[in-house]
Amino acid sequence: MKKTTVLLFIVSITTLFAMCRKAQPFSEDSYDERLSGGIATIFDETSRAFTHAISGLSDNDMHAHELGDAAFEQTYVSAPAPVNSGLGPIFNNVSCISCHHNDGKGTPTAGDVTSSLLFRISTADNNDFGGPAGMSGYGGQLQDNSVFGKQAECKVNISYSNVSYTYPDGETVTLRKPTYTMQNAYMHITGAYSLSPRLAPPVFGLGLLENIPESTILSYADENDADHDGISGRPNYVYNAETKRKELGRFGLKANTATVKTQVAGAFNQDMGITSSIVPMESCYGQAQFDGRSDDPELPDSILNAVAFYVRTLAVPARRNVTDPEVKHGKELFNQLNCSGCHKPIVQTGVDLTLPAISNQRIQPFTDLLLHDMGDGLADNYNDFLANGKEWRTAPLWGIGLFEKTNGTPYYLHDGRARTIEEAILWHGGEAEQSKTKFSQLSKADRQAVIKFIRSL
Amino acid sequence: MKHKLVIALGATIMLASACHKTEDPTPVTTDFNTMKQQVLEDFTNKVAVPGYKDLADASDNLYSSLQTLNDNPTEDNLAIARTSWKNMRTIWEQCEGFLFGPVEDNDYDPNMDTWPTDYVQMDSLLNSSNNLEVSDIQSATLSLRGYHPIEYIIFGNHGDRKAADITARQKKYMISLATDLKSTCHDLYQSWTADPVNFAKQVMTAGNGSAKYAKKQEAYLAIVESMISICEEVGEGKMKEPFDARDPQLVESPYSGNSLADFKNNLVGLRNVYIGKYKEDGLGINDLVSSKNVALDNKLQTQMTAAINSFDNITVFYEDAIINQRVQAQNTMNALNELKETLEGELKPFIIQYITD
Repeated sequence: MKKTTVLLFIVSITTLFAMCRKAQPFSEDSYDERLSGGIATIFDETSRAFTHAISGLSDNDMHAHELGDAAFEQTYVSAPAPVNSGLGPIFNNVSCISCHHNDGKGTPTAGDVTSSLLFRISTADNNDFGGPAGMSGYGGQLQDNSVFGKQAECKVNISYSNVSYTYPDGETVTLRKPTYTMQNAYMHITGAYSLSPRLAPPVFGLGLLENIPESTILSYADENDADHDGISGRPNYVYNAETKRKELGRFGLKANTATVKTQVAGAFNQDMGITSSIVPMESCYGQAQFDGRSDDPELPDSILNAVAFYVRTLAVPARRNVTDPEVKHGKELFNQLNCSGCHKPIVQTGVDLTLPAISNQRIQPFTDLLLHDMGDGLADNYNDFLANGKEWRTAPLWGIGLFEKTNGTPYYLHDGRARTIEEAILWHGGEAEQSKTKFSQLSKADRQAVIKFIRSL
Repeated sequence: MKHKLVIALGATIMLASACHKTEDPTPVTTDFNTMKQQVLEDFTNKVAVPGYKDLADASDNLYSSLQTLNDNPTEDNLAIARTSWKNMRTIWEQCEGFLFGPVEDNDYDPNMDTWPTDYVQMDSLLNSSNNLEVSDIQSATLSLRGYHPIEYIIFGNHGDRKAADITARQKKYMISLATDLKSTCHDLYQSWTADPVNFAKQVMTAGNGSAKYAKKQEAYLAIVESMISICEEVGEGKMKEPFDARDPQLVESPYSGNSLADFKNNLVGLRNVYIGKYKEDGLGINDLVSSKNVALDNKLQTQMTAAINSFDNITVFYEDAIINQRVQAQNTMNALNELKETLEGELKPFIIQYITD
C-alpha cells in the first residue's frame, strides 16, 4: 500500500515536470560553430579541404558520387575518341578540374591551360528567354581556346592598374583594377557589347544551397529597402533549360542559374564544348568552327547526372580557430558592421528525404543568394536576367579562409582581382558602402580581427 | 639456489633480447618534439627533394635518348628510349606519393601527366604544317603534352612500334615534347629548392616562420592527406573506373603496358613518405607513430606491404586483368581501401592528437 503511494507520487511528479518542459530549439551557443555545413561538414584544412564527399552517403550514392568525381577530373578530348569524347571545337578549358582547382577557386588568367577566368559577352538586349542576348558570331561566351586546326573566338588581354586606398587612420592599401580587352577576334564584331568576367567559384556545399527553401531566400529580400539599412537585395529569376520554366536563380556569380544540374550542363557546353540533353547544341553552332558532326548529345545523361550529384554531395570544410578571442571579436564586429546583412551567417536547409545529409541542416554559408548592387567599382555593365550591370549575387564565404591552401595563391571576388581578403572588402560599394565605410573607420587591430574571423570560415 | 636464480634471470634477459627484432635505424633522438621537426626535414631532404632531383635528371636522360633515337632510329636505340621512359615513370609515380605544394599549385602535374591522349588532335597536328617547335607544344592543349604522347610514339600499341616506322614529323614532335617535359621537371625541382617559392623551406619551417604552414600540424596533415589521396586515386580511380566499366580503353599508360608498374610505384611512393626513405634512410612518420603506438605502426606497415605486394598477383596487363583476373584486381583494390581507412581513421587522428603546434 505504502509502496504504491510512493510510486504514484514519483510518477505524478515526473509527469508534472515533463509537462512543464516545453519543446525548445537549442540555444545559439549549444551549436558547434565549426559545423559550417551541419552534418555535411568535413574536418580537413589542407589543400584537399573542398574535395570530400559528405559522410554517411549510402553505398549507391557514394558510387554515383565517385562516378561524378571521375568525370569532373577527366580531361576531355576531341571527337571521335574512345573515351571522354567531345571537347570543342572551341572551348575555355579541357576539364572541370582545370578551372575549379581542387574543387575550389581558380587563377584569374584566360586562355591558358591552367586558366579559370572566362568572359560572357552580350549586347544590352535580352534573348527570347529573358537572358542576356549573345553577339552575332560569338554567342554568349567567349571561347578563347580551340582544338588544333580551329580558330578560337579571341584572346582576352588582362591588364591591371594600381589604385590606392587610404584608411582614415592613414594606412594605405594598393588595389588592382583590371581592364579586359578582346584581341585576335576571329571575325569582326559589329555593335556595342559588354564583357562579364567570371572566375570559377568553389563547388562544394552546392547541394545544401540548392536545398534552401525558396521562401527563406525570398524572406531576405528587401527590394525597396523598407528597413532603411541601405541594403535591398532581390532575387533573380532565370530560365531553366531543363524544366523550361522561369525559376529562382541560385548559382552563377549573378544568380543566373537555377539548379546545380543546369549549371553543370551549361559549363560542359560553354566551357568545354560538350553537348548534353539539356544543352544539345554546340557552342559554335552556326559559326565557322562548327564541326558539322551529328554526335550530339556528346555527354551521356548518366555522366551529367553523376557530375551534378558529385557537386551536390561535396562536404563543407569546418571552421577553424572558433574559440580564438580575436576571431570571436572579429565575429562580433562582422555582425555590428552589418556584413551579415547579406552574408547571412546561419541558414536552415529544407527537407530532402532522398539525401538526409543535406536535409534540414543548420548551415553557415554566409550568403543570402540574392542580388545586390555592389557599386561602380565592381560593375561589369552586363545584364543577366534580372541582374543589372552593377548587381552580383552575395558570394558564400564558407571555406574562404582555405583558399591559400586549396589554390596555392589565393584570389578573391568575381574576377580574382583581389589578392587578399582585405582588398576584397575594400572593393565593396553600392549596398555594401556603409559596411565598408564602417570597416575602414575601425582601428587597425579591429580590422585585423574582422579579417581573422573571415579567415576562420 | 641464488646461483640458479641468477642463471635463470640471465637466460630470461638473453631470451628477451633475442626476441628484439633489428629495426630500421634507431632514431638518434627519441624526444618526440625533436623528432617531429626532424621528420619534416628528412621528408624534405631525403624524400621529396631527391625525388624531384632524380625526376629532373631522368627527364634529361629521356631527352638525350630520344635525341639519339631521332638521329639513329635503330631498334636498339628505341629500346633504350623505352627504358628511359619507364625509368622516368618509376620516379614520377613514386613522387605522386606526395602530390602537394608546387606540383599542384603550379599545375606541373597536368602539364606532364594528362590522360587520355587526344588522337584526333594529334593526327591533325602531325598532318598539319605546324612547326612543332617547343613553343607550339607548350601552347597546345594538355592532352597533347607530357608523358603519354611520347609513350604513344615510342611504344605504339603495347610495344608494336618499330623504330623505322616513326615518321619525321613524329620525331620532331617527340623531341619537342621531351624538351617541354624537361623544362617542367626542372621547374618543379627548382620550386622546391630555390627562391621565390623554395617549398623545401616552407615545409621545414612549418610552425616556425613558414609562409605556407602556420603550424607543424598543417604540414603533417598536408603530407598525410596526400598519402590518403594517392591511395584513393589508385584504388578508386585509376583501377576502379576501368574495372567497373570493364573497359580496357580507360586504362592509363596502355601503349607501354606500364599501368600496373605505375600503380605499384604510387604505393611505393606513399610508403617512402611514411618511412622517410627514398634512397637514403631518414626519420619518418613511422618513427613518430611507433614511439606512441606500436600497434598502429605495425598495422600501417603491414597494410602498405600487403597492398604493394598484391600487385604481383596480377600477372597480365591491367587492361586484360579487368576482364580475366578480376578477383586479383579486386583484392588489390580491397588492400588499398583497407590502407586508406587506416590512414584516414587512425593516422590522421594520431597527427591531430600528438602534433598540435
